[in-house]
Amino acid sequence: MEIYLPIAEQSMNVFVLLGLGAAAGLLAGMFGVGGGFLATPLLIFVGIPPAVAVASQANQVIANSISSLQVQWRRGNVDLRMGLILLLGGMVGSTAGVSLFTYLKRIGQIDFVIAVLYVLMLSTIGLLMLFESLRTYLKRRRNPEGPRGKLHTHYLVHRLPLKLRFYKSKLYISALLPVGIGFAIGVLSAILGVGGGFVLVPAMIYILGMPTAVVIGTSNFQILFVAANVTFLQAATNGTVDVVLALLLILGGVIGAPVGSRLAAKLPGVALRGLMAILILLVASELLTELLRTPGSLYSLSPREVVP
Amino acid sequence: MKRLALALALLGAMINQAAAQGGPRVEPPAGGLIGPTLGGSVDSSLPPSVPAQTGTPDLVVDLSVPRVSITSAFQGESILLFGMFDPPGEIVVVVAGPAARETVQRKQRVFGLWLNTGRQPFDDVPAYYYIAASQPLQRLLARGSGEILSLEDRLASIRPVAHSHRTPQQIAQFRGGLVEVKRREGLYPAAIGQVTIQAGRLFRVDLPFPSRLPEGVYEVRTYLLRDGKIVAAVSRPLPVGKVGFSAQLAGWAVHEGTLYGLGAILMALFAGWIGGAIMRRL
Repeated sequence: MEIYLPIAEQSMNVFVLLGLGAAAGLLAGMFGVGGGFLATPLLIFVGIPPAVAVASQANQVIANSISSLQVQWRRGNVDLRMGLILLLGGMVGSTAGVSLFTYLKRIGQIDFVIAVLYVLMLSTIGLLMLFESLRTYLKRRRNPEGPRGKLHTHYLVHRLPLKLRFYKSKLYISALLPVGIGFAIGVLSAILGVGGGFVLVPAMIYILGMPTAVVIGTSNFQILFVAANVTFLQAATNGTVDVVLALLLILGGVIGAPVGSRLAAKLPGVALRGLMAILILLVASELLTELLRTPGSLYSLSPREVVP
Repeated sequence: MKRLALALALLGAMINQAAAQGGPRVEPPAGGLIGPTLGGSVDSSLPPSVPAQTGTPDLVVDLSVPRVSITSAFQGESILLFGMFDPPGEIVVVVAGPAARETVQRKQRVFGLWLNTGRQPFDDVPAYYYIAASQPLQRLLARGSGEILSLEDRLASIRPVAHSHRTPQQIAQFRGGLVEVKRREGLYPAAIGQVTIQAGRLFRVDLPFPSRLPEGVYEVRTYLLRDGKIVAAVSRPLPVGKVGFSAQLAGWAVHEGTLYGLGAILMALFAGWIGGAIMRRL
């Protein structure tokens, strides 16, 4: 069954898009991060223009994070103060990111930049995950009940000015740090269409030293508003948000997420992470091949200027 | 005038007959594919008893549909242009899409990666260009009937914007790239279409429109040539546009970006909230 995507300006099979959304939702349910970082490259593979894929994916992230935030908020797992400080950086970062996106689109380099950033990001995450799961696997085989190492040491965090007390996270750290992290995630979110949870969550645990219980809820809080900001700005300045596409991805995600969380409860975590790492590396290498392969035609037309 | 009316009635009958066969296209291979819809619109838009609106006594032209509608199921469309003329003479049809600025990008390998390195904008580029003639075009145009331009002549007149540092050869390369891309998308068909003449005075030709068709008002010009000179010309506008819900959405996205963005956010909030709530119950 084909459906016409009005902004992407092409027909696409409904079930392919639902399946993509479901796959992303499955990952979200399994690993507690949004599946955007895999869904966007897959959308590009099936032929959606990268600029439309990114902007529509940001729209989908809103649905994903509100759905997860609903639960986290009720359980009291959101550090509102930390969330707001992160958001401060996130809003500035995503606004700057959309401006950068618009500029890159105008000079005709946006598709290239998206592909390169995805290759870098996915191969880094994939390799890290792969090594981490291999190490855990080997360590557990050698020493099943070994002591856990120290998670983090933070000297820099304690020396920066503008210290704030975060009661819920039981932290007394400089506000500059979460603002900076929020900013970086905001830029990433605007250019790649991801929520950024897969970067934000480790950053909150390892750099800020937040307790894991409040990490997911707080990151979802920040992601929700950043994704909304990106969606709004992309729609207002670039007109690249395809709501039909986003809605199909959301519907697929709604179906996929609970399946993912149930699967995650049954399967061993190490194997799961190893599998995920291989999947991510495959997508990265496919994107890299696209960049290296001699194109069929050297010429293309940049999209016609939109004249309102 | 009386002869004209008679011939028109004949033409109407001819088209109805074609529609009854399953499509207005007489060529056997593609005939049945889009038959029912096109045939239906021929009947409604052109009652055989009413003469075509545009024309001079020497040349009468009409199209099988008044506009090209890009619906959510649009896969490209073939439109029938038909009419009649006072013999003797030859017919040339030129269809041009709206002219606008197009920017051609060229890829180059940089450190092993392919990326766009060169850009050359051109002004006054037709979105679509198609020529059909009842005789080989070179022969018809040999005596220089200035107004009719082959694709090559038409593109010779598009203006490169800025970039004084590029040599004419480099500009020509970009122009070649433009044609290459447009050809690939079916917007500059390479072959000259064949206008078929029947009964010495009736003519018809199929105008092929590909699936990724730029919107705008296209111009369909039909010329009557005698001894290489234009003796009559008829111009008809052919609007091409999205219709239905997808048109609404695309229109809002362009003209009401702010509202569209807010709507997109609300849609996602609503869908995520409801979806999450439902799935947790299950």
